[in-house]
Amino acid sequence: MSEPLLRVQDLRVHFDTEDGVVKAADGLSYELQRGQVLGIVGESGSGKSVSSLTIMGLSRAENARISGSVVFDGRDMLSLAAEQMRAVRGNEIAMIFQDPLSSLHPFYRVGDQLVEAIHAHHDVPRGAALDRALELLEMVGIPEPKRRVRAYPHEFSGGMRQRVMIAMALANEPKLLIADEPTTALDVTVQAQILDLIRRLKDELGMAVIIITHDLGIVAEMADEIAVMYAGRIVERGPTERIFAAPEHPYTWGLLGSIPRLDAPAGSELVPIPGRPPSLIDLPGGCSFHPRCPYVQPRHREQQPLLEPVPGGRGHAVACLLEHETRARLWRSLQRGAVPEQARASVLAEDAPDG
Amino acid sequence: MTQRNLTFARRPLFAAYAAAAALALGACGSDSSDNGDSQADGGATSAGFDAAVPAGDQQKGGALKLLSSESFAHLDPGAAYFQLDYMVMFATHRSLYYFKPDDPKTAVPDLAEAAPQIAADNKTVTVKLKKGIKYGTNDTSSPVNGQEVKAADVKYAFERGFKPSVANGYLATYFKSIVGADKAKGGDVAGITTPDDYTIEFKLAEPFGATLAKALVMPITMPVPKSYASKFDAKQPNEYDSDPDKQAFSGPYMIKSSSPGKSLTLVRNPNWDEATDERPAYLDTIEWTLGTDPNVAGRQIMSGTGIVNGDTPAASTIKQFATAAKDRISFTPLGNRFVNINTQKKPFSDLNVRKAFAAALDRKAMQLTRGGTLTGDIATHLLPPTLAGHEEAGGADGTGADYLANPSGDMAVAQSYLKKAGFADGKYDGPAIRMLGDNSSPAKESAAVVRRALESLGMKVNLTSVEHSAFYTKFCNVVDQLKKIDVCANYGWLPDFADPYAMLNANFNGEAIVPVNNSNASLFDNEKVNADMNAAAQITDEAERAKAWGAIDRALVEQVAAVPWFWDKTPNVRSKDVHGVIAQWNAAWDLSYMSLEK
Amino acid sequence: MVRYIIGRLLWMVVLLGLVSAVTFVIFYALPSADPAVLRAGRQGTPELIAQIRETLGLDKPIYVQYYLYMKAIVLDFDFGYSFQNSADVREEIVSRLPATISLTLGAVVVWLAVGLPIGMISAIKRRTALDRVTMGGALLAISAPVYWLGLVALYLFSRDIGAFPIFAGANSYRPLTENPAAWFDSLLLSWLVLAAAFAAFYARLLRSNLIDVMSEDYIRTARAKGLRERRVILRHGVRSAITPVVTVLGLDIGLLLGGAILTETVFNIPGIGRLAFDAIQRADLPVIQGTVLFAAFFIIVANIVVDIAYAFLDPRVRYS
Repeated sequence: MSEPLLRVQDLRVHFDTEDGVVKAADGLSYELQRGQVLGIVGESGSGKSVSSLTIMGLSRAENARISGSVVFDGRDMLSLAAEQMRAVRGNEIAMIFQDPLSSLHPFYRVGDQLVEAIHAHHDVPRGAALDRALELLEMVGIPEPKRRVRAYPHEFSGGMRQRVMIAMALANEPKLLIADEPTTALDVTVQAQILDLIRRLKDELGMAVIIITHDLGIVAEMADEIAVMYAGRIVERGPTERIFAAPEHPYTWGLLGSIPRLDAPAGSELVPIPGRPPSLIDLPGGCSFHPRCPYVQPRHREQQPLLEPVPGGRGHAVACLLEHETRARLWRSLQRGAVPEQARASVLAEDAPDG
Repeated sequence: MTQRNLTFARRPLFAAYAAAAALALGACGSDSSDNGDSQADGGATSAGFDAAVPAGDQQKGGALKLLSSESFAHLDPGAAYFQLDYMVMFATHRSLYYFKPDDPKTAVPDLAEAAPQIAADNKTVTVKLKKGIKYGTNDTSSPVNGQEVKAADVKYAFERGFKPSVANGYLATYFKSIVGADKAKGGDVAGITTPDDYTIEFKLAEPFGATLAKALVMPITMPVPKSYASKFDAKQPNEYDSDPDKQAFSGPYMIKSSSPGKSLTLVRNPNWDEATDERPAYLDTIEWTLGTDPNVAGRQIMSGTGIVNGDTPAASTIKQFATAAKDRISFTPLGNRFVNINTQKKPFSDLNVRKAFAAALDRKAMQLTRGGTLTGDIATHLLPPTLAGHEEAGGADGTGADYLANPSGDMAVAQSYLKKAGFADGKYDGPAIRMLGDNSSPAKESAAVVRRALESLGMKVNLTSVEHSAFYTKFCNVVDQLKKIDVCANYGWLPDFADPYAMLNANFNGEAIVPVNNSNASLFDNEKVNADMNAAAQITDEAERAKAWGAIDRALVEQVAAVPWFWDKTPNVRSKDVHGVIAQWNAAWDLSYMSLEK
Repeated sequence: MVRYIIGRLLWMVVLLGLVSAVTFVIFYALPSADPAVLRAGRQGTPELIAQIRETLGLDKPIYVQYYLYMKAIVLDFDFGYSFQNSADVREEIVSRLPATISLTLGAVVVWLAVGLPIGMISAIKRRTALDRVTMGGALLAISAPVYWLGLVALYLFSRDIGAFPIFAGANSYRPLTENPAAWFDSLLLSWLVLAAAFAAFYARLLRSNLIDVMSEDYIRTARAKGLRERRVILRHGVRSAITPVVTVLGLDIGLLLGGAILTETVFNIPGIGRLAFDAIQRADLPVIQGTVLFAAFFIIVANIVVDIAYAFLDPRVRYS
């Protein structure tokens, strides 16, 4: 097996604030191979963007304490000097963001912003840079690139703007593209186009991609692997098919259960996860999901689960204190249409006499 | 409008900052002893300041700088009527008579050869001119340059005063008795004749000659050549007023250049013959900077060389000089202040009520509002110390009236007069009093003291406090308004020339009451006093004149035509190397006598 | 855009007409004094006053006076003559304009050169000791009354009366055309004094704008592109934060061109502000009208320029 392009190990990013320590990332570990797509899924406030920003060196603030290791293409990102980090950003690792209207500078023409991205890392004459800019616009599917290159961001539609952002990110042919909620601000129809575009470009350029999203549906088709985050930690991680076919974590079940599906029985209700995500300052003791878990046991309040491999699943790991068999039975129960209370009643009652 | 609260004409151009000056001095006014002492030197100035005509070892030459906040209103001798304008006029033109700096009472012939001859019937005044006085002009090729001054030029100077393009402000007051003056519109005035080139004669319709002769010190007598000036006088605005290149100068200096609001420069008049003039004219040039900030100017005078003030110094300046440079600040008495009460309306139509008010007014407190003893003396009657008739009216001690005996006021006396007026328990119980006050400082503070006095009598006071110029032009100079007002708090007067007529007539002669621009704010109209004033105006003998006007002053005090409270002093400051000479009659520098120390 | 400008210029004419009418009405409705009476002096007889009133044209009904006044301006660009000293109003104003312009533009240069860098650095080093010191100093500078500051500056630093003789003192102004060196020397201290409060204000303004802008998404993008931080701050941050500053700058210049009265007074710089101040005190209507119209003109033009500049600065704003 070749070296992964990116290996994150036990990454912790804590911010010291007046109100307390914000544990945005609390022991994250994952890997990404070249050309592979990783989906990081979680609610807002789960800390899902933090690890990506840290990879880029964009979370270095005065009050940030970063520990662990981030190795990209054989280099330890966390120990790089600021200038070295800058040389990597926008060059070998690129990032696109959620709202393309606010993420592009409103006062500069799109062409100039593209050229700027190129000039940040390559000393080429302006003419050559402009040619490349046109090339990029064509590549992302923007019609009439010669005319549009002189336009301002506000003169584009939402989907077109995101294409421009993608073009800008790809200007220097990065090895890794991080897409943070790339489609959240777009119409549903446009979402699909953008995702298609990303997939096509990934194939053409051989890029690795990390897609950060709250929407499992988006990564279902695109991601090779999925990492589910909760409260600054990865609670389940594994190949996409496994996550969808045999998810092990109650939170993942909740996420799946709250996706509207066309093939669900008519009249069936979406089952939301009760409660709200915890504050990253004030994490609950023990398993951080326990306040919202329908299957919580007394000892879950004290003991912290670690990410452990699932028996029989290649590369599938989960952090949960329930037994594997228990989880499997609960999942089967849910698949048959039971609501969490029913599942709990039937499965855990069976277990009770065994202790 | 930066006029002192003595209406907006002459003199008051030193105004606004005098106001502030006064206030700031309030604290330090008490360092000298009681006002009683300082009143003794009516005209004195501090040691080291030579107001007398200096001895002959003054240095000729040099340039003097003056700093003023104000600008000149007129540079035309026929139109000039402000203290600031006068300083320039009397240095650049020669009037028939003038006052030497140290003697504001004796008119000395300047353009004239000798004292005026007044006919026995007081209806003709004849003046003979000196010969050989020549004009100087900036443009040496001008036809008037080097031309001799003739009597016809003085005649024309008067006549043009009636033209709209000159519009002299005091012709009517002092010269309306000239035959033909009341119909004059700028053309020939029959009553002014020139029997020969060097004689001018005024024929009067009334016996006003004695006073008219005294008024011949005014700038209207400064000669203007008709052939030269009439083309300018025909147009509005009049270039003779604003463009020094269009003027003909008879005095020791000429206006070389004038930039309105910015600067003015005087240079020697090459055609001035010092043999014809008693003035020494030591300085070579005089440079006036206008629009200066008074606080800054004061410091520049303090630490600089060759600079004096052009108009009233700021309060901080006066304080600074009075403490650190006593020998470089002088205080010159000029003018008076009084409170007017409506003598034609109840309650002040009752003499006893007027006396009560006079007794109740704390004149010491009034003095403090002006800034204390340095800024002037407490008045005991109306004629100030430098004028004839002052001593005759009792001098510093006053007329002996019991209601003015105590400078801090005397409530017992006040109450006794109220009782005499019919208010049984010595307290007024009639309708409220309407009082008008000027809302600029320190007039505002003075008005407050007046109000306290009225209230101590038991009066309820409705005070209307208005902006400075409105105080005069809208209220206290307008008869229709005066009829509805009981007290005008902030009045006073500066004489146009040093004569008791010029000091008292406009304010207290019933016949001087006019519907607009009225200066008799008490509406005082006493037949006997009117007749006495008209008669006293005709007296030519100096001693008799002083006696007569002294008696009138006493009568005015007896009748409480107004309540006098202050005899003003004007401050002036100089740099250390300036030999300063103050023209007492104007309470300002006399540029023709000043010099710079070697 | 051209149509827009023309439209604004036409509107300016209307506004100036309105301003002059309102000034006229104020002067006549709430007069502080009667100019004819002032001019006549305290002894002036009713006949003299009437004569002067006729000379000055004050005997006509107010709308006739206004009509004649506007006619003179429109046909001959004649603004009349001062009631006080008969000086030609237009000449007076035009002769004083260079002084006011000199004072204004010099101060602008100073306050931009000082205030903007301070604002930028304070924003970047926010909450450090440096930031607190500069912002505290700025607060002081804004609070100090200009007149007082001018006096203190002269008492400390002028060559004739100051404790440390460095700068030229008051009354030393010389026009640029007459003597450029003396012109510059005479204005230095007054530029510093006039600029003080503005520099402080602009520093605070830029600082707060820049702090807001630096938290915008496009700044994050710029960093993600791998741009040097200096370029991010200047080209992306300041470029956005500067637009409100430009707006305010235009308006401030417009205002100051109408006359910085207090500074002109303390330093005795013969500008329009001082002229207006004196005229108001003397109830000199033609001069008041003239200065008010000029001041209004500058302010209106400044507004137009600023609005147009805004369209160039922010491409999202377009005038059709």
